[in-house]
Amino acid sequence: MRTDLRLAWLLTRGSDRREGWRALLTALGAALATAFALAAVAVASVRGQVRVPYAAGLLNHPGERSGVVLVLVLLLVPVLGFLGQCARIGAVHRDRRLAGLRLAGAAPGRVRRIAALETGLACMAGTAVTAVFGALLLLRFWHRPPLVLWAGFAAVALCVPVLASLVGAVALRRVVASPLGWVRRERGVRGRGRALALVLPVLPLGAAGLLQLVRGPGAPSSSLSPVLAVFGAVALTGVGAVGTAGATARATGRWLGRRTGGPAVLIAAARLRADPWAAARTHAAVLLVTVVGVGFVGVREVLLEELHRDGRHYAADLDFYTTGIDLAGAAVLVALLIGVAGVAVGTAESLATRRRGLAAQHAAGVPRGVLVRALLLETALPLVPALLPATAGGTAVYVGYGALHGAGGVSPLPLLVPAAVLAGGLLAAATSLPLLRRSLHPAELRFT
Amino acid sequence: MSNPAPLLAARGLVKTYGGTPALRGASVVLRQGEILAVTGASGSGKSTLLHCLAGIVRPDEGSVVHRGSERLDRASEKRLSTLRRTEFGVVFQFGQLIPELTAADNVALPLLLAGAPRAEALERAGEWLERFGVRERAGARPGELSGGQAQRVALARALVTGPKAVFADEPTGALDSLAGEQVMTALVRTVRECGTSVLLVTHDAQVAAYADREVRLRDGAVLTDGADADAVLLEAGA
Amino acid sequence: MIGMSTRHILLGLLAGGPSHGYDLKRRHDERFPQARPLAYGQVYTTLQRLVRDGLAEVDGTDSDGGPERTLYRSTDEGARELARWTGEVAPPAPFVTNEIFAKVVVSILASADPAGYLRAQREAHMARMRELTAVKTAPGADLATVLSADYALSHLDADLRWMTTTAARLTTLTAEVHPA
Repeated sequence: MRTDLRLAWLLTRGSDRREGWRALLTALGAALATAFALAAVAVASVRGQVRVPYAAGLLNHPGERSGVVLVLVLLLVPVLGFLGQCARIGAVHRDRRLAGLRLAGAAPGRVRRIAALETGLACMAGTAVTAVFGALLLLRFWHRPPLVLWAGFAAVALCVPVLASLVGAVALRRVVASPLGWVRRERGVRGRGRALALVLPVLPLGAAGLLQLVRGPGAPSSSLSPVLAVFGAVALTGVGAVGTAGATARATGRWLGRRTGGPAVLIAAARLRADPWAAARTHAAVLLVTVVGVGFVGVREVLLEELHRDGRHYAADLDFYTTGIDLAGAAVLVALLIGVAGVAVGTAESLATRRRGLAAQHAAGVPRGVLVRALLLETALPLVPALLPATAGGTAVYVGYGALHGAGGVSPLPLLVPAAVLAGGLLAAATSLPLLRRSLHPAELRFT
Repeated sequence: MSNPAPLLAARGLVKTYGGTPALRGASVVLRQGEILAVTGASGSGKSTLLHCLAGIVRPDEGSVVHRGSERLDRASEKRLSTLRRTEFGVVFQFGQLIPELTAADNVALPLLLAGAPRAEALERAGEWLERFGVRERAGARPGELSGGQAQRVALARALVTGPKAVFADEPTGALDSLAGEQVMTALVRTVRECGTSVLLVTHDAQVAAYADREVRLRDGAVLTDGADADAVLLEAGA
Repeated sequence: MIGMSTRHILLGLLAGGPSHGYDLKRRHDERFPQARPLAYGQVYTTLQRLVRDGLAEVDGTDSDGGPERTLYRSTDEGARELARWTGEVAPPAPFVTNEIFAKVVVSILASADPAGYLRAQREAHMARMRELTAVKTAPGADLATVLSADYALSHLDADLRWMTTTAARLTTLTAEVHPA
């Protein structure tokens, strides 16, 4: 293990610029994850009724605090998606290096361990930075924080890199690097993964239903079962949307590939058909955010309507509620930003691995405009159909909520969310255009 | 001289990449319908010369004249792109085929770019694949083709628009000698039929022997000892 | 070298069946298209030696209305000799004797212009290689033509590579002797 760690360190130090990007972005993702986790720990460590001079008293009561903790923990989901995208940067390079290690006599398991440790090292750097700043902030704003909080901090700072290494090892579990550089991803039992993806979100739904049943319809509903139900519904629609993205990517790829006469559409369609799940992976985080976002905007409508209707009951601290809603909205926005950043990273990575071929195609007369349109279409074609179930799922969540709270109907405002997501996705893909421009430079041809 | 203007005439080309000179005053003429081999050691500037003549790269100094009048070294990026798409064909060692497209779609792509309907483009692509003996591989993607087959598909793609010149940079570089021979024979036979000029960059004398003429580069300049060295020709003609 | 193996080549041609001198010459030139053509006199003397050594014998004569021709055929002894020769490994370049090599060495000794000679020789080599490539790739070229052209091309290519390396060595050498 010591030699593995040393090797991982040597490889991290000696890696080239693109791998530097992976390390940097991975560290950034780890830093974000640590920040959310630390904030959650800090909020959770507060006991009983207190007066916190921030966020309009939202942190004063244990009930609201648990909500804040939940939101912070949920924000980890898009961050993890982002980390997953980052792990793919420079994958070709890394695969070649793994092959080199194999050629030098390392066993497959050991190669995977070293690769996982590399991820861990990058994450450790990000975590360390956030942990230090988190501790400084804490000392500045909190006079004598409890010991349990420090223990929580230490646990987070330790767990994030370890978890990231484990995730790395899991992601690489099917990568078998042969000593001659063929890296093949063994196709595992696809059905099992799919079943798991469906069963996991159904579990909280079932649990919620069970809880409701056990307590009986007359009993006052606990706060746990609706949370579980929403959680399950969001996850289920998210899985559905990602599945839709993959399936429609394949279907539209096939359909357009056969019929289109436009070169840009043809190239985009062929790429979708060749690897439909690449699109699904890239878009998973933003699709999940779409479900949450549509649901949130809808629920917000219902809540605000309720507040204004019964305004006099709440008059004292209307501010308290709107601040809570706004904070939750900010969390959704942050999640969207992280998801969009993941799309940008994914697009850039896909360009970087193809740059030599792109330069050759441009040299052979394929105009830049066609390649640009193909790149944008590649993002838009699978995203648009996948937004439909995501929006539908989010709508179901808030309509359900509205029905429970005696407010009905579908409002148009939440429909802005998928539009924003689509715009954000295209914008993210567009951030890669300067890179595309550079890739088409003839200097790229000199090493073919 | 009553000869028609050469298809391409380059004079005094200088090109530097990040401080490393690739060309230092190379001059060369590509006549209509001739196959010209450009040879030399690796790093002698062969590929850069090809890039300059094909309008892929702009030289730092010197001129590239197309058909006696058009200055390619001053042409707009749009014009160069159009030229590469319609008048020139390009074949590299590898990389010019789009890995996700089938062989037929790859060959049809230049026609689609020119606005041809898909069905018509695919039909003509099929004819060209037939010509290069790879018709039965029309539905395969480049990754499923052998090296020789992929290069013949690349040739079909370079020639499908009926270009006036084909620029081939080590087209057989990744092939064994028999596959290379098939590729070269197919190329030479076709360009002879169509009257296409070819600029053939190679380090292999046996490949250069398919050409009508050879220009040798050393350290970014043409060795001017040959009987019909282009620099001498240019001086006389201009 | 030609003289050494002409007996065996004729024996090989006779292995197909009895044949007369003129027919043997024609078939030789057909089978070895890029080789130096066989002189009729050489065929005749070689056949007589084969008969003398018991490797071939006279099979009779035929006239076909023209002048009388002697038919020859291989003996059992001849067949054994042919089998021995075809199975025998040729000594790989036991002596380095080649005109190009000799000229370069001599012009270095005589302080002549070896680089200039090499450039001119390269031109000539390339011209010959173009010729052979044209012969080889002409539609309907038969196997013997393709094989012989391949053989010649490989050897010319080897010469060229040696000449390129030598030219480069001469440049370095000159630079060392006459530093600028």
